[in-house]
Amino acid sequence: MPRRFKIFALIYFAAAWAGVCSAQDLRVPASASAGEGTTISTTGNGKATFYLVGPGASRKSDVSLGEDIHLASQDLQTAGRYLAILCADTCHSSAFYLSAGKPASLSFIVHPSRVPVALNDAVSGVAFPFDQYRNLVLTPVSVNFQLTAKDVSLFSRSVRTQNGIAWFRTTSGKSAGPVRITASLDDLTATRALQQVASDPCNLRITGQRTKTGILVQTEPVHDCTGNVLPDGTIVTFTATGRDGKDTVDAPIKQGIARAQMDSAGPTLISAASGVVIGNEIRVGAQP
Amino acid sequence: MIPEMTISETTQSKGAPLFCLVLAGILFLAPALNSFAADASVQVQLDVKKAGPRAVEDLTERGILRDYRLAWTSMAQAFQFNSFDPLEGPFSGEAKHWLRQAVTSQQQSGLSCRYTNQNHRVDAVFYSPEGDVIELHDTAQYHLQILDGSKTIDDQDVTVHYVVLMTPGADRWTIRQLQAVPQF
Repeated sequence: MPRRFKIFALIYFAAAWAGVCSAQDLRVPASASAGEGTTISTTGNGKATFYLVGPGASRKSDVSLGEDIHLASQDLQTAGRYLAILCADTCHSSAFYLSAGKPASLSFIVHPSRVPVALNDAVSGVAFPFDQYRNLVLTPVSVNFQLTAKDVSLFSRSVRTQNGIAWFRTTSGKSAGPVRITASLDDLTATRALQQVASDPCNLRITGQRTKTGILVQTEPVHDCTGNVLPDGTIVTFTATGRDGKDTVDAPIKQGIARAQMDSAGPTLISAASGVVIGNEIRVGAQP
Repeated sequence: MIPEMTISETTQSKGAPLFCLVLAGILFLAPALNSFAADASVQVQLDVKKAGPRAVEDLTERGILRDYRLAWTSMAQAFQFNSFDPLEGPFSGEAKHWLRQAVTSQQQSGLSCRYTNQNHRVDAVFYSPEGDVIELHDTAQYHLQILDGSKTIDDQDVTVHYVVLMTPGADRWTIRQLQAVPQF
């Protein structure tokens, strides 16, 4: 008899405990998007305290069990993991995730801002779609990258985001000048600019003639290998080797040509270099 | 007899200041030791093998590992003590904004969170061509305790997946985006 009583008592307490446990419960949404209000349903009777703990928001309020809890959109703007906790006699919790909403802006990083022409893999860009609350949109979307110079398309590619990122890398164009780079997604567009400049000079050639005061030496118009005139200010170094030793002068290119006046009375060998490029050598005879 | 007593007394008289000195040292170093203990409780394993298109150099990997661990230590402190100070430095941009918001709303509602036994398995999945942004996928396991004042309202071991964007600053990597997702 006492043994039976024990078993019945055990079953009774287990049932009672289960009853307490099921007295209050909450059901969170299976999925929700940032900036959209949602509802959490509760079961049970009486009063309870409801807590919402998540990125960007922590909230505490008194609720009536058995009624729905409405979460306003301003409490749910940051994507991430939220924990809903309901406390009466005991506390019960349930987690749910808020995903990013639709893309509302594009962050776009382009490198470099100035690049020599015709350089392999010299230009790169990375784009990140964000929703209106600056949550990274992780659902794959297609981003169109375009490089245009003087309304001529240099590069165009559609790239699908992976883990919230789309990127490209390409060779710089062949003509010096400004280039417009855009990343677009539906009606969103982010634009960046970069300047393509001439590359290293190609066939650096110099001429020289003796004057009353020495030797006037100058380059022919300096171009890179794709025909772009090297920008003003690019330095050409002239070296004169004569009986008196060696003399070096740096001269900036101005409108495609670099000039220098060198002092040397005797026969002189003159050479020129710009960056890693070496030009021709000329011999100028002695002063008559 | 007398010399023994003298030795004993001498020992006591020398030992007392030494004890005080050690005690003072411990008290002085307590915050630092506490910080170290908190830092030591954050375990981070970083795998950069899948990162691309740029390869992650060893020194960069060490820097990211160091700064990511520090960021989680700081975030745990911020949420435990409802303080903004730990967030200065390891976080920037949107991550810093929402963390500050979270701490503010915790202060207003009287809540606090304790992140302990943190274990992060982190994979670098993207490293930009110019090295100015890295994306990490962190499978974080930790013990999370949520308190309303001194009353514990939730206490559980959780596994959470985070998508993280980090960018390099002058002397450190900072977290710009920290977004929990159900799965990668």
